[in-house]
Amino acid sequence: MRTEGLIFADAELMRDLEGDQSVQQVANVAHLPGIVGPAIAMPDIHWGYGFPIGGVAAFDEEEGVVSPGGVGYDINCGVRLLVAPLGIADVRPRLAQLVDTLFATIPSGVGASRSDVKLGRRDLERVLSQGARWAVEQGYGFPGDLEAIEANGELPAADPDAVSERAKERGKSQLGTVGSGNHFVEVGYVAETFDAAVAQRLGLEPGRLTVFIHSGSRGLGYQVCDDSLDGMIRAAAKYAIPLPDRQLCCAPLSSPEARAYWGAMNAAANYAFANRQLMAHYARLALGKVFGPDAAERTRLVYDVCHNIAKHETHEVDGRSRRLCVHRKGATRAFPPGHAELAPQFRDIGQPVLIPGDMGRYSYVLVGTAGAFRETFGSSCHGAGRRLSRHKAKQLARPRNIPKELEARGIVVRAATRATVDEEMPEAYKDVARVVDVVHAAGIGRKVAQLRPVGVVKG
Amino acid sequence: MTPYRFVPHTADVAVELRARSELGLYQAGLDALRELLVGTSPVTPAVERAIEPRGADPTERLIHFLTDALYLWDTDRFLPAKVTASGIAGETYDPAKHQAQREVKAVTRHGAEVRVAEGEGGYRTTIVFDV
Repeated sequence: MRTEGLIFADAELMRDLEGDQSVQQVANVAHLPGIVGPAIAMPDIHWGYGFPIGGVAAFDEEEGVVSPGGVGYDINCGVRLLVAPLGIADVRPRLAQLVDTLFATIPSGVGASRSDVKLGRRDLERVLSQGARWAVEQGYGFPGDLEAIEANGELPAADPDAVSERAKERGKSQLGTVGSGNHFVEVGYVAETFDAAVAQRLGLEPGRLTVFIHSGSRGLGYQVCDDSLDGMIRAAAKYAIPLPDRQLCCAPLSSPEARAYWGAMNAAANYAFANRQLMAHYARLALGKVFGPDAAERTRLVYDVCHNIAKHETHEVDGRSRRLCVHRKGATRAFPPGHAELAPQFRDIGQPVLIPGDMGRYSYVLVGTAGAFRETFGSSCHGAGRRLSRHKAKQLARPRNIPKELEARGIVVRAATRATVDEEMPEAYKDVARVVDVVHAAGIGRKVAQLRPVGVVKG
Repeated sequence: MTPYRFVPHTADVAVELRARSELGLYQAGLDALRELLVGTSPVTPAVERAIEPRGADPTERLIHFLTDALYLWDTDRFLPAKVTASGIAGETYDPAKHQAQREVKAVTRHGAEVRVAEGEGGYRTTIVFDV
């Protein structure tokens, strides 16, 4: 190991890691060349491939590497939170209608595609280079949305020419769709605030209706990652980089292999920003259909964050400012108040950090802190983190009816398949409150509000 | 000999593959992939689709083979049934006949290493599917 590993957790969260390979995966990351500071894992760490999920690692721009396994297949998988001008009490009587309308408006499930958004070649190129801006210019949302998206929803390092034909083929009809697995559209409300002033600034007054969206770059991003791996395996051999796991294959940041991946990865990230922008547009349309046009027009974007990405950032290390390539795989950027990259509306409160939980309990909104900038390269957790395998969750769910159980608790679930709901049952996840409490106590994020779900659309 | 067996993995799906030949390993991987996509829904080997073999070693060849089969599913809704001399045989997804289970994002290289066991002469590896 070139450096140490640093896992943020309490005793119970550490016990969840026994018997899997996530801690070994932290150690594997610590072997990579040019790593600066420790290989870090957030309290929602769980066993992934290559990097652990919940992993953060920073690399020196001169001596370090970029690894597609440190970003993941779902490039710029992320979450976006909307807040509607409605109170939960007004919504309850028409909740089932709202969830049904969302389910009908935003395609989900295996191979979900939109017949109303078919991208021609020129449009796809613009999606890849302009991200959410392309979507807003086409009328999917409002110009003000862009200020509430990480990097304004547009990464300028994108190179559409570096994206393969295969990836473009997979991406051409999937824009504006949820996908499957742990992706979702969730209706909820603000149940509790921990910092009333910041919550109010974000529009998160107690009782307000929220819509959480979790999705990424769909098949296009998966293919970009896949396309890069052959070249990265060859590059690792070419530059004599020993790999503790093939999925950690990587290339020096200055190499042509890294540059090709970087351009394609940023383009896929832009696709994901545009994807969530379209989904937010259709969520607004669904709200408008059920509650009238005013509900659609006054639904605001709180924030949109990536949690599978690598970015060049400036951080202070041992008292000096350094340019680093920060990989966040299942981890969220959590920049502090005053950071120059934040839009003016967040400059004094810090960057909103969106932490979805499971579909039965709660989710959280935090803000970034100076502690995160100091300890974790400006990073925080990204969710609850799985504790049960999908196989185990299905076994537990088989004799039960999870949607009925959730409905009895006031949560309406609509899903393309039963398999997904069973695999995503609440018990499959750690208690996100525990994860967030560790983050808050460690000072790498600060709690602002808790949201509770009342309706979920799953793939 | 059970050709494939799902084993615990927290976030994704891991499967152990065993076969008497490299081609047998492809079939075991294809069977596991099909189960992930449509469960036990029967798939008929009605149409053949070509897959170009590529990869420097058995592990890379297996991963590419399964990745190409997954690409045919993702773009053409082509479900695999059998490995053939030039690729795979299968049929197009029919919602009346096949029950879609979940999206499979990719065939990862995490922990993948084709080994040829002594004695029994079996080919084995673990494959983790990102779901």
